[in-house]
Amino acid sequence: MDILSYDALVVGGGLAGLRAAIEIKKAGRKVAILSKVHPLRSHSTAAQGGINAALANIPVPVKDSWERHAFDTIKGSDYLADQDVVEVMCQEAVDRVIEMEHWGTLFSRTKEGKIAQRPFGGAGFPRTCYAADRTGHNLLHTLYEQVTGLEIPVHEEWYALTLVVSEGRCFGLLALHFFEGKIIPIHAREVLLATGGYGRIYLRSTNAVINTGSGSFLAYEAGVPLEDMEFVQFHPTSLYGTNILITEAARGEGGYLLNARGERLMERYAPKHMELAPRDIVARAIQTEINEGRGFEGEYVHLDFRHLGRGKILDLLPGIRQIAIDFAGVDPILEPVPIQPAQHYSMGGIETNVDGETALPGLFAAGECACVSVHGANRLGGNSLLETLVFGMRAGRKAVLSMDSAKSLPDPGLFEKEWSRLQARLEGIFRRGKQEPCFRLRDEMKSLMSSHVGIFRNESDLSFARQEIRKLKGRLRSVGVNQQNLAFNYQLIQYLELEGMLHLAETIVEGALARRESRGSHYRVDYPNRDDNHWLHHTLAFKTPDGPRLEQKEVTITGYPPKERTY
Amino acid sequence: MRSRLLTLKIRRFNPERHPSEWLQAFHLEPWEKMNLLEALLHIQEEQDGSLAFRYSCRGAVCGSCAMRVDGRLVLACRTHVEDLLGKPVLIEPLPYFPILRDLVVDMSLFFAHYREIQPYLHGKSISSEREYLMDVSSRRAIDPYVNCILCGICFGNCPAFRLDRQFLGPAILAKAYRFLIDPRDGREKEILENVNGQKGVWGCKTVFNCVKVCPKEVPPTHAIVQLRNEILRRRLGSLFSRLKSLFSL
Repeated sequence: MDILSYDALVVGGGLAGLRAAIEIKKAGRKVAILSKVHPLRSHSTAAQGGINAALANIPVPVKDSWERHAFDTIKGSDYLADQDVVEVMCQEAVDRVIEMEHWGTLFSRTKEGKIAQRPFGGAGFPRTCYAADRTGHNLLHTLYEQVTGLEIPVHEEWYALTLVVSEGRCFGLLALHFFEGKIIPIHAREVLLATGGYGRIYLRSTNAVINTGSGSFLAYEAGVPLEDMEFVQFHPTSLYGTNILITEAARGEGGYLLNARGERLMERYAPKHMELAPRDIVARAIQTEINEGRGFEGEYVHLDFRHLGRGKILDLLPGIRQIAIDFAGVDPILEPVPIQPAQHYSMGGIETNVDGETALPGLFAAGECACVSVHGANRLGGNSLLETLVFGMRAGRKAVLSMDSAKSLPDPGLFEKEWSRLQARLEGIFRRGKQEPCFRLRDEMKSLMSSHVGIFRNESDLSFARQEIRKLKGRLRSVGVNQQNLAFNYQLIQYLELEGMLHLAETIVEGALARRESRGSHYRVDYPNRDDNHWLHHTLAFKTPDGPRLEQKEVTITGYPPKERTY
Repeated sequence: MRSRLLTLKIRRFNPERHPSEWLQAFHLEPWEKMNLLEALLHIQEEQDGSLAFRYSCRGAVCGSCAMRVDGRLVLACRTHVEDLLGKPVLIEPLPYFPILRDLVVDMSLFFAHYREIQPYLHGKSISSEREYLMDVSSRRAIDPYVNCILCGICFGNCPAFRLDRQFLGPAILAKAYRFLIDPRDGREKEILENVNGQKGVWGCKTVFNCVKVCPKEVPPTHAIVQLRNEILRRRLGSLFSRLKSLFSL
């Protein structure tokens, strides 16, 4: 059996994964990236509006600082973020952004030639650095260029199937070379998951089709807890019809949200910050307008930024203009854009510390698949790109520091044993014959999550969702796969990803059922208030044969005691 | 009334089958505003799980789903099937690259060319604490080239690449130009030498096919012409200085 061997293996080729790999490579270590798509096809590329760092490049009466950035982030999180890690992120933000600029990211500029910054929701300052409205694309291409220069090998279009764990340590994984249909064992002293979010659990999501949360499930299956899974961000403005993201920058630059009566609807919900309240508040506002009959066709409201004028739209928002034309037949220069809220981001994920370490030695996580937790109950726009770079870098650095003392492989036959176990499992799936098609279960899960575990939640909907997810998990056992050959076996991948998504959905539902309060993105109509006496803590979900077992974990408070959150 | 039926004749390829190549027709009734990627996903789910193609963002920003539709090169996700109803539509992989399976092609040559131009900023030295200052107009000049998503569509429509697979290709030459005009990059001679030759800018037929077909409105031919001008300017410059040194003798 041929085993590939690295000092570190990074799973996922988006921003967090590439940044981690660069850090490891620059320390002179042997590192490879494994990704189910070419790194440039990662979902990071779809990020639009920008990345937060207190550069203070825009003259305002009071100078911005990392402390103010930290305060906004913590308040935005509804005080669930761990304040020590928020402080680390905000302190390191400036270095990471400057570094990207030095590596070639083409940020938009101020008149003085500095990196341009725009206002974003929940922020007291114009703090969001941007490259027009294609910031993710620009950052991802820059990091991939660096990866190319450093000659870091990339196993493209390989799937990570299972982690190899023994004696309480991760030693690598088994991967599927999708085109050749071979299962390839990879031994790594450190494995780093950077596999992104799970948006495709929901029917309406801004996420790429590939975002199935498979890396989070790998960790969960290996006994690592998932943290704060009940906190799911719904972006206020996705394009009606396809739910493609329409950036918060449209509002940052001055766009209005209008209901069917032509009113600026945010006046009712956040009279001070208006359209630039945090996402949880704006998403609930829009959904309320729609639910109460003040939307268009009972489905959407308008995002109107015609008053910015052609020049500004072409300069600052060309990407979403192109998206609105291509996918809705609407030119925002001439017409308002129809938008509705949609699942966008997962605040929860694999529990890690400030250096990306998980509860399982040898396993790290960074980016959206991880929960550090810097976003708490609600992430501010512009903080997710920042998180990928800061914690990708830190996880990479810590992996380098840990690898020399890493335990060596206890049993040379470990990979063969894992390989036979996987083989037996796959044969079990293949033997079933095709009973019920996988996609039907997937579609039922997605509808269920959007209708019962969405923006507004209550006990009876969530209990129903719990029962339905259990039924779907039961039905999955009779879903088969027609094609027996592993090469180009889309059905098998869809089956394995659906299995993972059902487990992740279950952790979301259980967390949401347990948490009898409303905080950030988690809104219980039956418990509409935040309850710091009982619920100022994180949720940890551990996998058991009977479903998730929940535990609580303390929130770290440094200098910002929880206060009422008004905008 | 036009038929509501969508018929896709897909060029299939599987080296393990005999024959390894065949054309297969699929029929479906599209829903309103369905795009071609959704149609393909629908076929893969409901009709033929073995149909192979790439996808990711479904929003025309990742560059995965380049293919040929009735001879036109497009991103499937940004192609509305409304315009394809009525008569059978031929779906083929991106041309000039080796086919791996159905609509999935091997892009390694594309990325080999990418690596050849050292596509990463060779920054002039600067303090690590602050950004390079760049004026708004310099950024604007680079911006159209940075918008490239490396989908490969321009290669599939390029007569120079069709004749010679060693031709660096439109997207790659546009990338080289992007670094040449980036005031932060210290290179000039290296970039120009890298693209000077038949497999570089002189191989281009300047027929603007790449400009016409680019889904992100990147103008590679413009970059190629500018690169040629820069090469000529440098040559002229060195000729002048040689003449000058002759006369001063």
